[in-house]
Amino acid sequence: MNFELTDAQRLIRDTVREFADKELAPLAAELDRLKRYPEKPLQRLAELGVLGMTVPPEYGGAGADTVSSCLALMEISRACASTGVAVSLHNTLTCEIIYRHGTEAQRRRYLPALCRGQILGAFSLTEPTSGSDAASLRTTATRRGEQYLLNGTKLFVTNGSRAGVIILFASTDLSRGDKGITAFLVEPSVPGFRIGKREEKMGLRASDTAELVLEDCQVPVENRIGEEGEGFKVALSSLVTGRAGIAAQAVGIAQACLEASVRYARERRQFGQPIAEFQAIQWKLANMATEIEAARLLTLRAAAQKDRGLPCTMEASMAKLFASEAANRAAADAVQIHGGYGYLQDFPVERYMRDARVLTIYEGTSEIHRLIIARQLLSPSPPPSPHPWGEGKGEGPQGGPEEGMGAWCVRGGGEP
Amino acid sequence: MHIIVCIKQIIDPEIPADQFKLDPNSMRQLRGGLSLVISAYDQNALEVALQLREKVGGKVTALCLGESGAMGAIKSALGMGVDDGFLVSDQPLLESDPFGVAHVLAKAIQKIGVPDLVLTGCVSGDTGDKVMGPLLAEALGLPCVTFVSKVEVKDGKALVRRIVEDGYELVEAAFPLAVSIISDDSNVPRYSKLRDIMAAAKKQVPTWKAADLGLEGARVGVGAARLQVQDVSIPQRESKCEILDGETPEERAEGLALRLRELKVI
Ligand SMILES: Cc1cc2nc3c(=O)[nH]c(=O)nc-3n(C[C@H](O)[C@H](O)[C@H](O)COP(=O)(O)OP(=O)(O)OC[C@H]3O[C@@H](n4cnc5c(N)ncnc54)[C@H](O)[C@@H]3O)c2cc1C
Ligand SMILES: Cc1cc2nc3c(=O)[nH]c(=O)nc-3n(C[C@H](O)[C@H](O)[C@H](O)COP(=O)(O)OP(=O)(O)OC[C@H]3O[C@@H](n4cnc5c(N)ncnc54)[C@H](O)[C@@H]3O)c2cc1C
Repeated sequence: MNFELTDAQRLIRDTVREFADKELAPLAAELDRLKRYPEKPLQRLAELGVLGMTVPPEYGGAGADTVSSCLALMEISRACASTGVAVSLHNTLTCEIIYRHGTEAQRRRYLPALCRGQILGAFSLTEPTSGSDAASLRTTATRRGEQYLLNGTKLFVTNGSRAGVIILFASTDLSRGDKGITAFLVEPSVPGFRIGKREEKMGLRASDTAELVLEDCQVPVENRIGEEGEGFKVALSSLVTGRAGIAAQAVGIAQACLEASVRYARERRQFGQPIAEFQAIQWKLANMATEIEAARLLTLRAAAQKDRGLPCTMEASMAKLFASEAANRAAADAVQIHGGYGYLQDFPVERYMRDARVLTIYEGTSEIHRLIIARQLLSPSPPPSPHPWGEGKGEGPQGGPEEGMGAWCVRGGGEP
Repeated sequence: MHIIVCIKQIIDPEIPADQFKLDPNSMRQLRGGLSLVISAYDQNALEVALQLREKVGGKVTALCLGESGAMGAIKSALGMGVDDGFLVSDQPLLESDPFGVAHVLAKAIQKIGVPDLVLTGCVSGDTGDKVMGPLLAEALGLPCVTFVSKVEVKDGKALVRRIVEDGYELVEAAFPLAVSIISDDSNVPRYSKLRDIMAAAKKQVPTWKAADLGLEGARVGVGAARLQVQDVSIPQRESKCEILDGETPEERAEGLALRLRELKVI
């Protein structure tokens, strides 16, 4: 086993870290306070080649691997989690899906612009009545000649009011459930498309989360991704990169919590000594550091597995589940270590705690990820052991999402 | 225009001071897994070279004498956009004194082919000898300008901006030429672009040993060293915090100004 990063991975991490430390971290508190979208940082990230970084060079990307993409998201989120989520949705869902499932014409039309940061990407699955149970979505797409007419309301769309292209899921046949879902590339300039409410959030306040309203929204047939009814498969295919991306965001936030806590514990004196000398504080720091390392390894391993073309649905779920919960524990402890100051906006841990909260909710709630993991464990044809060094359980196909696990989501898992 | 930039890999000077450890025998800093970077002014030198290449065309080569891990420094330079890199890595060579190091680098430069311009940082971020540029120029028989922030080409000659106290000199010199680089606003090192990093990772970098350069023990290595560091002392820094009282912001500002004057800071 070898835990070394390659030259490229290390250099990418170092470059993004330097950028994040110098140009992003100093802005983060202000962007959060003013709820200002990180437009300039995103532009700079585009110049560095971070936007669309996993897209091959012939479509304008850097051709980096999933591990590098996670390393970059960790560094960005360590400085500014709002920018982290914007990049994550842009890279790990929008660009990935267009590259993996788009036609040549769709790739040529969107990927170079997405990589240059001329347009931003969004991914829109959730609806008011369909969250975890994504397959129950109600937005419809009806074919009228060379157009589809989309009707419905989409919710919680990250980058929603900023995006130049949105991967949007709608049903072309409600009677067929998840097999009726189709994916579309929607440009906000088309007739019938309207940006609704911009959500006011607890955290990630510099990120954009919008409602999209579709009233006979006209989407040309050539903007359909794949065939009718293949939308759910498209959503599922982005599971791994999307979840690893959020796991990476969690690791970044948790790392920031740890660094702030170590710094503060050394400086803050009570009872005549730095609070770092109290064992109660030391144990918190030790737990935090250990969980962050575990989360980092789970995340990078899921990503490495993906880069090697191996199944990793379960690994990505484990990484997302563990990292998001570890980040919440780290943030809570960071605030605790800061005492009353941790509760004030003058210190960054207050923001870290608000930002971390959503991690166990989006891209699959913790409950849903436990469900996915348990289903794999209990499935009649269990997946190969998740441990490459463990007992081999044969090469059988992973009881993958195609067999009943929904996007962030379980098909028929909740509703009676 | 061919430019060779000599870069040194050092322990990141940003590490916390308590991680700084000295080897009592060699009086050198112990690496012990600490993060390594290209010495700061060497990065400025890379930037000067890349800007010059953008203006007049040509090629930039990075050259490093270091441990095998110094390949990381070459790869970083390639990531910034230099065209190729060479690593000289052979344990005995690393124990050379600055005179020996200059000899090694000169031999390597001769093997690559003496370029139009040789750049070094004006001082390294670890040992801080400030001699490599001039020693290297001497070894190569080139004219040398030190503490330069910018190099331009005019009528086939180099026009270099040499930073002196309270100003600068513009020096004209004929190529080939050796120049040591200091930082200013014009040569802030660029970020690597991810695409260049990906290309850098794939690039082959030749690694040379003493024998490849025809180096003899009499000129290099610990045996040939004519300088030896006898002792190093680490200054003890104390910091203390004072809180100034005052009713209004104006009072507090006045108190601060008076205190700073007392301390002869202003
Ligand atoms: C800031 C933010 C950004 C977002 N960005 C996007 C985006 O870009 N694109 C997008 O499409 N969506 C996005 N979302 C939506 C997000 O993915 C959903 O909020 C998430 O999937 C959960 O759905 P829900 O909110 O409807 O909760 P629900 O599904 O209603 O869940 C409520 C609770 O019930 C639990 N629950 C549900 N089903 C089960 C079950 N079967 N077993 C046990 N417990 C269950 C859940 O775990 C949760 O605790 C975003 C959300 C937020 C807050
Ligand atoms: C919203 C708000 C309202 C408040 N209102 C009031 C008020 O009305 N009146 C008032 O007087 N104060 C008030 N406070 C202050 C509050 O009581 C203090 O914040 C609290 O006593 C903790 O002190 P501290 O913030 O200085 O943290 P510190 O004492 O610096 O503690 C920092 C961390 O070190 C730990 N620690 C400290 N000593 C030890 C030890 N010996 N062993 C192990 N761990 C240790 C703490 O548990 C904590 O985790 C308020 C604070 C807030 C945030």
